[in-house]
Amino acid sequence: MDLGVLDRIPMRSDFETPSGVGTGAGQSLLRAVSARRGGICVAGALAATGLLFAWQASLIDFGDFALPGPGFFPLALAVSVVLLSVVIGVEDWLGAGHQGTIELGHRDVLIVLAALLAVPPLFEPLGAYLTLGLFGATLLVLIARCSLLVAGLSAIIAMVACWYFFQVALGLQLPIGAILDGLGM
Amino acid sequence: MTGFDQLLGGFAIALSWKGLLYCFIGCLWGTIVGVLPGLGPLAGMTLLLPLTFGLDPAIGIIMLTGIFYGAMYGGSTTSILVRIPGEAASVVTCIDGYEMARQGRAGPALMIAAVGSFIGGTVSIVGLMLIAPPLAKVMIAIGPSVEVVLILLALSVISVVSAGSRVKTVLMVALGLLLGSIGLDNLTGVARFTFGYTSMAGGLSFTSLAIGLFGISEILINLEKTETIKAIRPKFKDLMPRSKDLRDSAPAIGRASAIGFIFGVIPGVSHVVSTFVSYAVEKRFSAHPEEFGHGAIAGVAGPETANNAVTGTAMIPLLALGIPSIPATAILLSALTIHGVQPGPLLLTDHPEVFWSLVASMYIGNVILLILNLPLVGIFVNLLRIPYAWLVPIILIISIIGVYSVNFSVADIWIMAISGGVGYILRKFGYEMAGLLLAFVLGDRLEASFRLALTMSGGSYATFADHASIIVLASVLGLLFAVQALAWLFGYRKSVADETEGA
Repeated sequence: MDLGVLDRIPMRSDFETPSGVGTGAGQSLLRAVSARRGGICVAGALAATGLLFAWQASLIDFGDFALPGPGFFPLALAVSVVLLSVVIGVEDWLGAGHQGTIELGHRDVLIVLAALLAVPPLFEPLGAYLTLGLFGATLLVLIARCSLLVAGLSAIIAMVACWYFFQVALGLQLPIGAILDGLGM
Repeated sequence: MTGFDQLLGGFAIALSWKGLLYCFIGCLWGTIVGVLPGLGPLAGMTLLLPLTFGLDPAIGIIMLTGIFYGAMYGGSTTSILVRIPGEAASVVTCIDGYEMARQGRAGPALMIAAVGSFIGGTVSIVGLMLIAPPLAKVMIAIGPSVEVVLILLALSVISVVSAGSRVKTVLMVALGLLLGSIGLDNLTGVARFTFGYTSMAGGLSFTSLAIGLFGISEILINLEKTETIKAIRPKFKDLMPRSKDLRDSAPAIGRASAIGFIFGVIPGVSHVVSTFVSYAVEKRFSAHPEEFGHGAIAGVAGPETANNAVTGTAMIPLLALGIPSIPATAILLSALTIHGVQPGPLLLTDHPEVFWSLVASMYIGNVILLILNLPLVGIFVNLLRIPYAWLVPIILIISIIGVYSVNFSVADIWIMAISGGVGYILRKFGYEMAGLLLAFVLGDRLEASFRLALTMSGGSYATFADHASIIVLASVLGLLFAVQALAWLFGYRKSVADETEGA
């Protein structure tokens, strides 16, 4: 089908201008990774995941082909994941897959990922509101480049709004945490 | 009780103050997430999922569905005024919509987009109303073997219509099925891949995975960029289209309604594909194809009608078969299950009020959106002035609370964070997430039906080919696999040949 002017469809890159956020020193973390090499690594990681699942599935009752057990389906799928990953890896290795480079390690992306991973271990001990308040304030300071005062105030307002909306209006009980619990809240 | 009586009953629920309020909230929130780049219907629905927990299932589903089609409406506003597609299904609208806006005709473009969306949406609801009940009756009579073939067919179509590498899509489907097998085996109760964690016994949380793979990864990708927002502001009095606009767009709306209606049942990214097909069809049918790309109103009317026509028909496989065809309907499946309502052939007999109130609310929602979108267009465009870096913490905080509140488990936040990071990397390297998510949802049923069919047939694989319907489905499936294998082989050889020639 001739889509004609569809090649003029604005792609995301058309809308982009150099970011005012995350420029400067932070951008030094950005690494242009060869798409081919990166593609092979991703395929390798997927193959490794498939192998892990295949190993675990092999420990479960396989049954037989006529009456499959609980291990049959996962083993077949895990083997498929491994095989397909190998195919993609080989394609990339032969250069049939990716061309050019892919940028990884954007400062803001790394900050958000790190902040997200910090939330679960703190969520219950520190309480939902304190954890999320800190999370929000951190992102406002590091990504939106707000002053500490603005970020702190915004986080407090956001948490009060969250408490009212989720806890009071919806009746959702989020963990209070030891600190707020100790304060009798 | 006749279908008409049931529809009236549905209207009684949808027109109650609660029904109207939550339909309005859904439509409003849907329009907002449709307007904001980086938030689509999927993220919008998952974020408000916890809000439905305290509601009656019918009301909760009315709200979530409102978000789904509201996002389709909202996406067109930014496409036309800012040339930023609020979500993927509005990409094509940017071409002629923005050109029209630049020529001072943003008003008619918005009006035609809204009217087209309304007509497309309404046509698809009529289709849903007429097709789903008889289809559900047929489905009740079929056994697990047909279900296996149907699910495999749905998953195969995803990889065939995939825009990216088919091998990668098939891999994502296999991975989704594999992840879906985590937890206790449905038939024997054996723990699989729980690695000793009791919190894994119930399997991975769909909501966490969906928000992580779609919402978080999208935010991370958007963080790498910022957009210069330069909106064109139409005046309300400029909204009325000229008679030539109406003449040009009326046939386009008719054709696009049919295209969207047909594409709605195709699994994968049908709402996106339908817009591209509609645009191509309009260009071919036009007496002035050279106008396309330079502000042709049919180039706005077609795609906008098509993506809204998909919303109703996408509900047919979900409500009649229990098979979600696009990720957004997978969220609806999850929401219905949380409310103890199992979508599928028995939905119409066990919970007819859910089905008919949903149908009725879609009629009402389309009217609400028509009223909401045009006068408030200026407000919606102003939303784009909020810096993205400010929106990110807000979206993430709501996501975290939403994910946690499904099972009150911190493990779900871990899953969301990790799947967000993994989804980001996979998307950077050209892997599509839709197949993974749909396979994850369908994995349980596929395996259970597969094993049940074999048990019932005494272990004979001939059970998957012993009815006329199965033979037809299996033939289509076989054909799809063959086409896919050939396409892959051809593509592979071609690329190797190109490589050799280039060397």
